[in-house]
Amino acid sequence: MLEADVAIIGGGPGGYVCGIRSAQLGLRTVVIEADRLGGECLNYGCIPSKSLITVSKLVDKIKEAEKFGLRASGVSVDFIQLQKWKSEVVSKLVSGVEGLLRGYHTTVVSGVAEVVSKDRLVVATSQGNEEVLFKNLVIATGTRTSALPGLEFDGDLVISSKEGLELKGAPSRLVIVGGGAIGLEFASMFQKLGSQVTVVEIMDQLLPGSDPEVVRVVQRKLEARGAKVHLKSKVARIAKKSSEAEVEVETPEGRVVITADKVLVSVGRKPRTEKLNLAAIGVQTDPRGYVITNERMQTNVSGVYAIGDVRGPPLLAHKASKEGIVAAECIAGLPSAADWKVVPEAVFCDPEVASVGLTEAKAVEAGYKVKRSRFQFAALGRALSAGEPEGFVKVVSSEESGLVLGVQIVGPEASNLISEAALAIEMGATVDDIALTVHPHPTLPEAIMEASESAAGHPIHQLRT
Amino acid sequence: MDFKLPDLGEGITEGEVLKWMVKEGDQIKEDQPIVEVMTDKVNVQIPSPRSGRVSKVLVKEGDVAKVGQTILVIDDGAAGAPTATMATPPKQIPAQAAVQVQPAPPTAAQSVLATPATRKLARELGVDITRVRGSGPQGRVTDDDIRKSDLKAAPQEATVQEPHLTSGGPKEELVPLRGLRRTISDRMVKSLRTTAQVTHVDEADMTELVLLREAFRGSAEKRGVRLTYLPFIIKALVPALKEFPYVNSSLDEHAGNIALKKYYNIGIATDTAQGLVVPVVKDVDRKDIFELAGEITNLSEKARTGQLGLDDVRGSTFTITNVGAIGGLFATPIINLPEAAILGLHKIAKRPVVRDGKIEVRDTTYLSLSFDHRVMDGAYAARFTSRLIETIQDTKKLLAEVL
Repeated sequence: MLEADVAIIGGGPGGYVCGIRSAQLGLRTVVIEADRLGGECLNYGCIPSKSLITVSKLVDKIKEAEKFGLRASGVSVDFIQLQKWKSEVVSKLVSGVEGLLRGYHTTVVSGVAEVVSKDRLVVATSQGNEEVLFKNLVIATGTRTSALPGLEFDGDLVISSKEGLELKGAPSRLVIVGGGAIGLEFASMFQKLGSQVTVVEIMDQLLPGSDPEVVRVVQRKLEARGAKVHLKSKVARIAKKSSEAEVEVETPEGRVVITADKVLVSVGRKPRTEKLNLAAIGVQTDPRGYVITNERMQTNVSGVYAIGDVRGPPLLAHKASKEGIVAAECIAGLPSAADWKVVPEAVFCDPEVASVGLTEAKAVEAGYKVKRSRFQFAALGRALSAGEPEGFVKVVSSEESGLVLGVQIVGPEASNLISEAALAIEMGATVDDIALTVHPHPTLPEAIMEASESAAGHPIHQLRT
Repeated sequence: MDFKLPDLGEGITEGEVLKWMVKEGDQIKEDQPIVEVMTDKVNVQIPSPRSGRVSKVLVKEGDVAKVGQTILVIDDGAAGAPTATMATPPKQIPAQAAVQVQPAPPTAAQSVLATPATRKLARELGVDITRVRGSGPQGRVTDDDIRKSDLKAAPQEATVQEPHLTSGGPKEELVPLRGLRRTISDRMVKSLRTTAQVTHVDEADMTELVLLREAFRGSAEKRGVRLTYLPFIIKALVPALKEFPYVNSSLDEHAGNIALKKYYNIGIATDTAQGLVVPVVKDVDRKDIFELAGEITNLSEKARTGQLGLDDVRGSTFTITNVGAIGGLFATPIINLPEAAILGLHKIAKRPVVRDGKIEVRDTTYLSLSFDHRVMDGAYAARFTSRLIETIQDTKKLLAEVL
């Protein structure tokens, strides 16, 4: 039997970070992981997908190479080697997490945990049951892929993102059901690797909730390269054959049948709580099953905390990690709280999309007198010289105070650019603050400065509107 | 219509809802008092601006509401309602949904203009950042604002049902810190924490003043007023305050200046069953002792019966606290912010005094002046007190002042 000040169920980006911070604060910490440390993000999500996306972009660049005066011939993708490299990246990071947890003297238990009482849980390990007596419990079990009724995963024709990252080749005809972040990343990636892609989205735009102007850039690029996007559409039926499937899609223009070698379903995720037996201690969940907590990550049960995806959307690794730190610090008696103003998001489609704070529509809805300003990458030296002139930076600010309310970026390195905007919002910066900050030339962040200058009324590299 | 906590004037930004005089579903008339609110100065009853039905009470008794915050919704069946009702539902629905899903909504600290490090500092110092008035541009809350604030955050275990450490039990009675007690508690701590207080004590020979009061007593009674020593002391203060203007001043640290006040409004610390209140006698330099005596009687009566209005407690420039009737030698009073000094009056007693080399029995008292050393120095305060005593002890001088 193990005794712990903190028992953390789940070793993903929420749980393992919570484990490290707890141990740093002198708490006896046990981290329980049912699968692999690093969780969904490291093993089946963010990291492996970014490895594949990087290669797909490289292939794409090389295909355009002649434009840049570069002669390359006979370029092909060796999927076996690609998958091997991707697995090495993942393994390296997973062993890094293991090393950190070990180095901080946490105890890692492999197995599925079940809560027995307010101070006890049992882990079913390969060597039998291990009991853990805890003073505090952190639920960090995350979410799992939701299946669509009638489109259940079969691991072969109908697959989830997890199998999508293990493919041994690009399917020649790929139907993606769900045009959210995951769907679009796969769409852009497999399109570059040679797939004919169809995206089926039930809402009236891709990346629902995002700025429509931003989404238009992504959709235009997908379609320009031959993808088909069906909005306000859903899969009515699927007829599986030996190595392909006929997917019948209900679109506003009527039914269309698409033949696909793979159908990748990415229609959202649901909390992973069913094996935990949370009912035993009366932890409150919302109607969708997400655990309810306050800003200190405390559930309704004293000493029981929840962090990350299992608390509900937005489902983001970086948010889970920060919440893990908050939970650990609260348990250690520190006055920590999740009081950040914003959580940035990035989608690694093509071009990349990143957003932080309020969109124009949300800012208007919130009652702000909104000032919107944009700067096109097509007017930026570094974007042009990188051969990536698509997209723009959009700054949403308060007309009255000049405070930056939100920033949306679609374009090269959007994911890397958004942190400046996040810091600006957290610091309560105004568009003047960004405009007056010297940005190095020639770099992509200049676009954020230019858009801010425009908001402040004195754009340099664009005409006043 | 949404009923918002109205502007109560005098820089009052919030008030504690003491008592609802109506409940949801009640029919109310225009001007009917609907709620009693305790500001940091006084209790006020706020009347309804409309007739109608109370559809929702949004603030609980004991909670603090900000000026401008909606505290009550009145269904007044007004014709202008359609646009209002169309505008409100989209806001209300998500709010209700959020309450169901998330019993503890995201911390309000997120809406405050402050850097993450400042927000963290507020948490560490236990300051409720949402109530701090920021001194920076656009109300930005700075580290300094947090350090100087005394707006304590509520205990953070809000949603967790843990037993309190002090559980009461048979040997303790738990009295909630509410209303006037909480206000006094906040203001006293703020005064001690934000000023540099020193107390200077001196003694005054009251023999002549005792005789003087006796002399005036009859004519006071004829005018229907009870004459205590207080009006005499107030009159004796006036020339001293004029001569030593920093005693009658306020330091504004943010603005970086000291306001020397050319008007003389004296706060009279008054003991009541609910606690200490400080009604104000205005423009004492322009009133004679009988007017002062009348006003003091009137104000202390209002204080005892809880009838003081906002105007009665606003605008003092210097405060007197008089514990002489109860006893004691002297005390160290706490300055009534934003003033720069406070005078404590104590028991007048017959004591042996050496005069011209002989021991005599005289009526004497101790005077204690607590002053803000940021505003004036000890020598200055001592000279002020000497000047005051000089007037008190010299009937001729005092007579020139009192009439």
